[in-house]
Amino acid sequence: MTVDIRKKEGVTILDIEGRIIGSDSLALKNIIDEQVAEAEEGEAKILLNLADVRMVDSSGLGIIVATYTAVQKKGGRIALLHPGGNIRSLIVMAKLVTIFDRYEDEDEAIASFHKSNN
Amino acid sequence: MGPATEQVIYLELPSAIQHVYLLDTLIVDILNEMDFDEETTEQVILAVIEAGTNAIKHGNQEDLNKSAHFKFIIHPDKLTIIVQDEGNGFKREEVPDPLNPENLLKSSGRGIFLMESCMDSVTFEQSGTIVKMVKHKSLTEQKCESV
Repeated sequence: MTVDIRKKEGVTILDIEGRIIGSDSLALKNIIDEQVAEAEEGEAKILLNLADVRMVDSSGLGIIVATYTAVQKKGGRIALLHPGGNIRSLIVMAKLVTIFDRYEDEDEAIASFHKSNN
Repeated sequence: MGPATEQVIYLELPSAIQHVYLLDTLIVDILNEMDFDEETTEQVILAVIEAGTNAIKHGNQEDLNKSAHFKFIIHPDKLTIIVQDEGNGFKREEVPDPLNPENLLKSSGRGIFLMESCMDSVTFEQSGTIVKMVKHKSLTEQKCESV
């Protein structure tokens, strides 16, 4: 798994590539924790770009859920971009459909962060 | 094309979590050889990774002196996967339901649920130190839903 981090209009976008299984989950957790910790209160805007993620296991899903909780506590928001591979099925099976906002267009996803601030 | 007769593949892994990548590589090859469709392949890979992670992490507590043992039995019409750890076992009925509203936002506890959702049958033996999972080729109705 590799993760590239970029900022766009105040939103931190994590471009994740590969599989999020086994020890990848801990590595991803450390990267996300750092981004959430750096964000000011109410300014944690995290967009996970999953377009190039082939496989996520329950540990990986758990990290995404934990990020949701951490970001919520900080008054921020997390959204998923291009949730392909098996992540879409996992979200449905785990009854997390109503928890995660999902987008197929990056500009639309970024705009949603600014709308939710209004 | 699957084999006309039964074939068995054994794998023994030291209890280090990074070895689940080896499992991923092996099971993909087995499933491709058996001609499972893409969706079913995805389901079985996930179930195997979850079972392997459970054996290494929860069963063997990542103790490198202990191994996780895998047996893949390739039948013409189904794949049977048996995973054994060297831990103390657990009681399936004591594992909390991850779909219970109070557990939905927990960061762990979905592994067994996903295994059971993705395979045709999952049974635990010897106090939970052995898990046996079966996936048939002929069953088209899948429990893992896609949206």
